[in-house]
Amino acid sequence: MDPLLSVRDLKVEFDTRHGRVTALAGISLDVMPGETLGIVGESGCGKSITALAMMGLIPNPPGHLTDGQIVFEGEDITRASPRRMRQLRGRDISMIFQEPMTSLNPVFTAGDQIAEAIMLHQDVSKKEAWEEAVELLRVVGIPEPRRRAASYPHEMSGGMRQRVMIAMAISCRPKVLIADEPTTALDVTVQAQIFDLMRDIQEKFGVAIVMITHDMGAIAEMADRVAVMYAGRVIEQGRADDILDDPRHPYTSGLIGCIPALGREAASAERLPPLAEIPGVVPPLHLLGAGCAFADRCPLVHDRCRRERPPLAPHGMAAQEFLGGHAVACHAAEREIAA
Amino acid sequence: MGASGYILRRLGYGVILLLGVVVLNFLLIHAAPGDPAEVIAGEMGGATQEMMDKIRADYGLDKPLIVQLGLYLGGVVTGDLGESYFFNQPVIELIGARIVPTILLVVAAQMIAITLGVGMGVLAARRPQGAWSAFVSVFSTIGYAAPVFWTGLMLIILFASMLPLFPVEGMESARFSGGPILYALDVLHHLFLPALTLGIIFLAQYARLSRASMIDVLGADYVRTARAKGLSERKVTFKHALRNAVLPIMTVAGIQFGNLISGALLVETVFNWPGMGRLAFDSVLRRDYPTLLGVLFFAALMVVVANLLTDLGYRLADPRIRTGGSRK
Repeated sequence: MDPLLSVRDLKVEFDTRHGRVTALAGISLDVMPGETLGIVGESGCGKSITALAMMGLIPNPPGHLTDGQIVFEGEDITRASPRRMRQLRGRDISMIFQEPMTSLNPVFTAGDQIAEAIMLHQDVSKKEAWEEAVELLRVVGIPEPRRRAASYPHEMSGGMRQRVMIAMAISCRPKVLIADEPTTALDVTVQAQIFDLMRDIQEKFGVAIVMITHDMGAIAEMADRVAVMYAGRVIEQGRADDILDDPRHPYTSGLIGCIPALGREAASAERLPPLAEIPGVVPPLHLLGAGCAFADRCPLVHDRCRRERPPLAPHGMAAQEFLGGHAVACHAAEREIAA
Repeated sequence: MGASGYILRRLGYGVILLLGVVVLNFLLIHAAPGDPAEVIAGEMGGATQEMMDKIRADYGLDKPLIVQLGLYLGGVVTGDLGESYFFNQPVIELIGARIVPTILLVVAAQMIAITLGVGMGVLAARRPQGAWSAFVSVFSTIGYAAPVFWTGLMLIILFASMLPLFPVEGMESARFSGGPILYALDVLHHLFLPALTLGIIFLAQYARLSRASMIDVLGADYVRTARAKGLSERKVTFKHALRNAVLPIMTVAGIQFGNLISGALLVETVFNWPGMGRLAFDSVLRRDYPTLLGVLFFAALMVVVANLLTDLGYRLADPRIRTGGSRK
């Protein structure tokens, strides 16, 4: 099966006070139709920039997309005109954001904001768009959708606002839905409800979801495949089950170690480095050296890691298939396999 | 709370405020040095003590201050602002003949200031580091710092001697013949320079404010949402961002209305505009207390009405105020 959305060697740079820094240093990802791809990493790893690049919304200036391609249904959208991008945005590729409290415009009603997206991409009257908006609010599980369509954002809770965002995002039946930390700002019960809703939506509309998160728990909950990002690179990629059960990169192990243990098998827990938290922070992008960006925080670091950056290499798999398989960028993992 | 209840309550506050202003103005003026009877006598070319007593009795100046105040307040409530010492004409007629030009001037100035100021600020905010943005910052600093009479004189020099496009004096052409539409155009033609002069100082302020407000709003999450829908940059800027960015400008514009009215006094003098400003100025010099009090009363009335309209506009523009919700 061909990927629906394919990111190839994408490079994004930002102008900062420290000169031009690389936010994405050539990443490659595939999104298959109808699947959920999780992109996981800490703040500053480039996961949100990846999402904005897929939307063609990298702020320029200061951002520059300097190399690579983003191919959506055979079209390289990094070369698309602004007009073409506006057609795709919201219609074929749509997005929901981290902050439901501030992501809706406070001076327009929920129904108006959804109907606006519908009228923009479909040839319908205002009345039809409004009816469709009410129907969408019902689909995303908002009680009394007709009354709620006339409500303003400040009259709704955070969970309800996120449902409105989702209704807006799916209003034109997109093929890809990018969700940037969709539940981070919500409390735990509401998180679970939003995940349920996203799974429902996926089943109902067959939309592929790109879920961006720092929370391996959310990955375990939602993702079919996972890309782990660190300092502007993908450092491990594979099927969610493989990565959760058998993480190869010490950073991925660390992230999994950060999930509160709720009946995770003792056998796999023994193989993880004992990391309840990962010491240190992501290095500032302008200070990255030639070696592995994780070296200073890595429990398995050795000399080679500081000299030479490990490539994203397939693990037990033919090279041409690695994007579909399990790949890792780590010298230590390679040694382990060789041994 | 319903809109009509809100309006009634605000109207009630407005009436109380106006009565307070009337009492305060009355007491302040009577605390000032100078005796109107002497000024009137002076105008008559001198008077004997008997004539002075008669003047005082005629104008009620011989009664105790508190009685004078009571009589005046009673008059105000029934729409009688007394009679001018100088013109021997009811004050309400004097003001009635001049209030329309003043309102015209103030409203035109406010409209020029808001549309041009907000327009300049919004364009500047789209590229905060750009040349236009720098120009707006410099222009608004100069416009804000320059005194209104100086701006007026500069505009008169520019448009009277260098580029004679606009009349610099009065409200209508001396020998005017034509229908009502031509008359309106003639008045607009005369209005341009005084309104621009009065507007510039506020224009500068609104430009700065809307630039800052717009830069703030353009970085908001909901603007990103609007872009993510696929809206054009024009719609993002003028629908989603501007609707939010104008809220602080509305607040300031409402507050500035009072300053605008006092600014109008100077501009009317410079451009010989037949409004209340000139009347106020002259009645101070002539100790024409009833006229002065009347002008001050109407100025206060205009400010109260303007503020009420601003608040109503604000309620229309910001649904969070309407429902009394929290501002998030």
